[in-house]
Amino acid sequence: MTHHTKCNLSVLSFSILLAATLPFTQPNAQEGMTADEILETLTETMNPEQSHGIMTMTIVTSSGQERTFKYETFSKAKGEKSLMKYLEPQRVKGQTILMLNDANDIWTYFPRTKRVRKLATHAKKQKVEGSDFSYEDMGASNAFIEEYDAVRLKDENKEGRPCYKIELTRKPKSNASYSRAMLWVDKEKFVPLVVDYYHEDDPQLKEKQLACKDIQLIDSIYTPMQCTMYNKLDNTYTSMNIVEITYQVDLPDDLFTEMGMQK
Amino acid sequence: MRNRIVLIITAVLLGTTAHAQKVDIFGYFEPQYNGIYFDGEYFQLQSNKLRIDLKSTSIANTEFGADVIFVLYHGKTDWNVLDFLSESIRSTIPEEMRPFYEIAFSDTLYLDNVYARFALNHFAVTAGKQQISLGTGYFANPTDIFNAKDALDPTYEQPGHNALRADFQPSPRLNFMALYSPVEFDLENSGKLIRAKLGLGHFDLSLLGCETQYTTTDFYTFEQLQERRRILGGDIVGELLGMGIWAEGIYNFFENSENGYEFLVGTDYTFESGLYSMLEYHHNSAAKSDAEEYDLNDWMRFLSGETKTVSSAQVYGLIQYPLTDMLIVGSSFVLSVSDKSAAIIPIVQYSLFQNIELTLVGNIYVGEQGTAYSNSLGNGGFLRASIYF
Repeated sequence: MTHHTKCNLSVLSFSILLAATLPFTQPNAQEGMTADEILETLTETMNPEQSHGIMTMTIVTSSGQERTFKYETFSKAKGEKSLMKYLEPQRVKGQTILMLNDANDIWTYFPRTKRVRKLATHAKKQKVEGSDFSYEDMGASNAFIEEYDAVRLKDENKEGRPCYKIELTRKPKSNASYSRAMLWVDKEKFVPLVVDYYHEDDPQLKEKQLACKDIQLIDSIYTPMQCTMYNKLDNTYTSMNIVEITYQVDLPDDLFTEMGMQK
Repeated sequence: MRNRIVLIITAVLLGTTAHAQKVDIFGYFEPQYNGIYFDGEYFQLQSNKLRIDLKSTSIANTEFGADVIFVLYHGKTDWNVLDFLSESIRSTIPEEMRPFYEIAFSDTLYLDNVYARFALNHFAVTAGKQQISLGTGYFANPTDIFNAKDALDPTYEQPGHNALRADFQPSPRLNFMALYSPVEFDLENSGKLIRAKLGLGHFDLSLLGCETQYTTTDFYTFEQLQERRRILGGDIVGELLGMGIWAEGIYNFFENSENGYEFLVGTDYTFESGLYSMLEYHHNSAAKSDAEEYDLNDWMRFLSGETKTVSSAQVYGLIQYPLTDMLIVGSSFVLSVSDKSAAIIPIVQYSLFQNIELTLVGNIYVGEQGTAYSNSLGNGGFLRASIYF
């Protein structure tokens, strides 16, 4: 397994969350766009150069139990570098996750033990704090284009908005965690409104669904303020909400280092 | 007297906190129930631990941190190490010497960490009593001369150590660390450590050199031999063929005693289902490989932290599975390859509430008497609630 090529369509989710974006100045949608062109536009625009935000993540279990986490995120180089520091609850406050190279290199810092631990890329499959997002889901990347073959299907309305519908099928040599995915992309704002993810071994089995809402224009970038990942197999969901975010920041490279994690 | 000083410092810090409103106060309360079935009887020991942390970052680039720990014990608090050892070892100790091997869990109050850290973009200095974590291993860290992990609970926090530490990071994946750990203001015998850490591709690797004073106790006579210990070592972590891999090791150069080495190699993998698995091999040349050769010193040096293992070669394993979003179940094991004994350690972690976590850990020893994980050590476990505030 080569990890530099490992990717996951779910990277879309984090991109959407952290920076799922379309600059206001993006070219308008064209009816003649191919699936690849739509994806390229998404990829180009989903990852802003830099971002700094505060978000909440609420996990809801099948029995209705809730856990809410609040964290601060920093992202640079179009999501190639990202850092996530928990602010709440106290149980995890100060825990930090650093992801470089599109989440192919991950470090975690635990303030209670003052220990930094490097995780191998397989750890990306692990749930982040028990949520329906894995580390891989949380790592921004544009590599999904290389891992999936894209086909544009007949346009559909989704959430009352006209959307492009794109079907993605994992390439034969890909190590992506989902066999297939279906995207509905807002034609005007170029933000994916819904993404269906299908099981790694069963292309007919819908495993997760990401739904994005409340799209606001922030720093000239369309930003979904709420994204929810539904786990169809476990009957749980995790909702991520942006409390505040800005794209007009100049983050130092030192932030995305082992020392930066401990600040 | 010491407790009174700690209380005064705590009160002053808390008072300052209330006044300045710029100090974070946080911590946890941790009741723990330990049960052990030993020698035909069931014993219980409860502890109630309160940790209060104070942290201030009100001065630019500077962090002041401190924590106070209170622990109260109840139940069977007095034990004698000899009761757990084989008859062949016990018989070598005269009856009148037995009290020397008693250990008591006494109520305690102490400052665990008190430090100031000054950090700029590429440079940081930390002075005071602070946690020091070295190495890439999970169950044990040969390069960590400051701490000894408990294989039954390897991720639990370690105590603070007096040290002056400097970190320099000239580039994002290159770090240098220098550490001076004073021993009674004796410069020559104080601990000195330097480490260079480099990131190469998907790998992080580090080299370290260390000089410190090493104490070997003869637990038959309670005489102590102190000598200079120099260490060369390093560690590496990365991945190969899709699996996480790591290794760390040291070579000890002793002033008088025989030189020795210790190393650990490990690997892990997360399956698509979320099942996490880990395996480590640990070798310690200072320990013995034949259980019949274990003597009182081997056990006492292990229990006192002078050496990290009783047996020379051990395999550690861990599997964990997130049964639900709130519940993780798993088990670890420790297998002494040298003496063919093992401990099985089932683990359950449950997030009861947002800030309350329950941990249930069992320990089942399956070795023959006299071995490192002999069933005569007693089987049991603990239930711990961690309540964060």
